[in-house]
Amino acid sequence: MPNLRVLLEDKPEKRVLLLGNEAIARGALEAGIGVVTTYPGTPASEIADSISEIAADAGLYMEYSINEIVAVEVAAGAASCGVRALTAMKHVGLNVASDMLMTLAYAGVRGGYVIVTADDPECYSSQNEQDNRFYALLSNLPCLEPSNPQEAKDMTITAIEISEKLELPVLLRTTTRVSHTRGPVTYGRLATPNLKGKFVKDVKRLVMVPANSRPKHEVLLRAMERAKEISETSPHNKVVRTSKSKELGIVSSSSAYNYAVEAADLLGLDASILKLGMTHPLPEKMIGEYLKKHQKVIIVEELEPYLEMQIKAIAKDKAPDVDIYGKMSKRYFPKEGELSTRVVAKGLADITGKGLPIDFSEIKEKYDEVSKNLPARPPILCAGCPHRASFYDMRKVVGEKTIFATDIGCYALGIAPPLNVGDIMICMGASIGTAQGISRVTDENTIAIIGDSTFFHAGIPGLINAVYNNHKVVVAVLDNLTTAMTGHQPHPGTGVTGMQSASEKVLIEKIADGCGVKYVRVVDPFKVSETETALKEALQNQGPSVLVFRAPCALVAVREKRSKGIRIEAYKITDKCTNCMACIRLLGCPALTVEEGKVNIDEALCTACGLCISVCPFKAIGGST
Amino acid sequence: MKTDEFNIVLSGVGGQGTLLVAEVLGTAAIKEGLNVRVSEIHGMAQRGGAVVSTVRIGEKVQAPTVLEGQADVLVGFEPIETVRSLRFASEKTAVLMSDERIFPSELAAKKMTYPDMKDIVEKIHRFTGKIIIVETEKLAREAGSTLTQNIVLLGALAATEKVPIKNESLIEAIQELVPAKHVGMNVKAFKLGYEYVKKMKVQA
Ligand SMILES: Cc1ncc(C[n+]2csc(CCOP(=O)(O)OP(=O)(O)O)c2C)c(N)n1
Ligand code: SF4
Ligand code: SF4
Repeated sequence: MPNLRVLLEDKPEKRVLLLGNEAIARGALEAGIGVVTTYPGTPASEIADSISEIAADAGLYMEYSINEIVAVEVAAGAASCGVRALTAMKHVGLNVASDMLMTLAYAGVRGGYVIVTADDPECYSSQNEQDNRFYALLSNLPCLEPSNPQEAKDMTITAIEISEKLELPVLLRTTTRVSHTRGPVTYGRLATPNLKGKFVKDVKRLVMVPANSRPKHEVLLRAMERAKEISETSPHNKVVRTSKSKELGIVSSSSAYNYAVEAADLLGLDASILKLGMTHPLPEKMIGEYLKKHQKVIIVEELEPYLEMQIKAIAKDKAPDVDIYGKMSKRYFPKEGELSTRVVAKGLADITGKGLPIDFSEIKEKYDEVSKNLPARPPILCAGCPHRASFYDMRKVVGEKTIFATDIGCYALGIAPPLNVGDIMICMGASIGTAQGISRVTDENTIAIIGDSTFFHAGIPGLINAVYNNHKVVVAVLDNLTTAMTGHQPHPGTGVTGMQSASEKVLIEKIADGCGVKYVRVVDPFKVSETETALKEALQNQGPSVLVFRAPCALVAVREKRSKGIRIEAYKITDKCTNCMACIRLLGCPALTVEEGKVNIDEALCTACGLCISVCPFKAIGGST
Repeated sequence: MKTDEFNIVLSGVGGQGTLLVAEVLGTAAIKEGLNVRVSEIHGMAQRGGAVVSTVRIGEKVQAPTVLEGQADVLVGFEPIETVRSLRFASEKTAVLMSDERIFPSELAAKKMTYPDMKDIVEKIHRFTGKIIIVETEKLAREAGSTLTQNIVLLGALAATEKVPIKNESLIEAIQELVPAKHVGMNVKAFKLGYEYVKKMKVQA
């Protein structure tokens, strides 16, 4: 949609509308970053996706790495040679990369290195809503938190500067509402990316054996003392508003800050506001002085009481008389879910005793009435989605039985009726491992469902485990030839790189073969009877088997056809239809609707995948002529 | 309430092009030197699920999301989704709604029928009397493709004369954001949506 070439314009002072994530990409260009790595994940994807679009022209290197820890390894390798680097990932990606992160903090970097973690309060597209600011505390690394696109760009540059000064990686933590908000961004100068590094051998610094790690821990702690000084004078930590009475103060960061400002205005509060942009390490002196000047201080932050814990510790030493309100001793603000101006206003009203000028309970009451019986509209598999065909094939063979350990990707939407495929799902790659434990202790057939991108990311060690320990599981790799859920990024199976050039395709069936799996088949899920046969054979197997269900993502296939001007002839219901509802009951295809009691195919949605033809007992679905 | 902000809520189904309309509005606002925030939901929510985008224009605007009851305009790309976003509406809100129904899959599965249009309009009336129903599919077809229904609605929105952005800026933004070969069709869709509401106002 947006023309990303705008990111390459060297027009300082130009004001452009950018998504928070695009602003981080622009920041990378202004900071002269040479290497960008990522593993995709909402809400972080557009940072690296937009770099991928322009990397060749910008003269930098970009890659979709196999997973987040490899992404950090590649970038850290480049940064150890003095090249500036950035890695982008979603919050849970940092769990995968954490082993590297914790000790990279000891080894440090030479070129500036920023790791972007995009958190997802409210779980808009995530399996949890962990607060990654705690990774900053845990790893002892500096952390910056922008609240809007302009800051997202500026802080990317600041992060690189701090990183180079301290020779440490720096975390840039966004949330969905920062990454996925568009707002005005004023450009600075573009820099020329430097891709030429030099590896200087230094065993004491870079080889983290115990004898070297011990002194490096000390070095890290000293660097963080310097980081604290940076934080004390950082322009990103500042009192943005003063109060007349000097009674009430509000401390906030990130998206929560926006709500705090608007909620304070809504209530007409006379409050000063301290905005924190560098939230690790905190500017202790500055916060101590701020606390001393107020009687009451309210801390407004999303998710965990990360600031509150630390600010209360500061208060104990520096301002023991100040009353601090937040979410610890009493929950004025929730720890779960995202905040909003309404939620923050309610908390502020409760603390200050001010009345809310809008009667939200009245709105809610009225809204609950009108929306009571409204049909739900959860996300579903697209019309023509190959995953629907795969699940239909599986259900046809196993009926109601079988335990499906599923994984993360579009195919997780298979849990919806009528397919109901998916009995356990925790994190990327876990399908293959959990299936083995379930199979070991039950008499049930277990099928692990995993996408192609997820298989490359975290499925392979689990598969080797199944071979080594001879677990009886069927691993169904749903290979739609893309990373669909997060925006259709390429992966090793696609033969396309982040630089948008061709590369060797890595074939899943060859990997399975190489891991020692005895039964490996590739099937086309739309060929129902062939797939049925293969699945029955796989289930007979006493050890692990791998079935690769290969058919392209329908959304990608339709887009390609459209761009080539190929018309898609939707299927039609003919007069042989008896309204038996088999297609509706078994598939849940959004193109199949029931209008005035009759089955109908929505021609705008139908991709002519033909699955419903295999399902209809009366052969009542046909191609149009 | 506050006059230094203008709030637009765009409510529809993933794939209907709410994001493009939001981006056009945001881009046009920038062209006029205004401050703006656009909120979007990507990823999981896009697979045919309910989606809400918001556009907020005004000097003091910081948060991207709209407070309950505070929409100046609610643009409903689909009748059920219009009702689902009524929590943003109050008597000050103008509702623009497409009559294009998209059947949630739950209906077929649970043997339910699509709610009556009369009921839907009644529900909206409990929040505001200002409602305009736009025949987006018909107008988009006239423009050249049913895929331009989102831009028909944008034209209709411009015709309410509430949005503090000039038509020229909106059209310029469309030209920048839509692939070159589809610009003509989309500009036509904009004009058809615009005239549709203008004519309606004269009749009223
Ligand atoms: C550790 C981690 N990284 C990234 C993600 C984001 N994510 C969710 S699903 C997915 C991959 C989807 O691709 P694939 O497995 O090919 O399935 P598809 O969506 O194409 O069906 C990713 C990257 C995540 N949930 N966890
Ligand atoms: S985007 Fe592709 S893989 Fe995902 S539900 Fe749609 S067709 Fe299926
Ligand atoms: S209606 Fe039938 S052919 Fe068309 S997309 Fe749905 S299942 Fe496939």
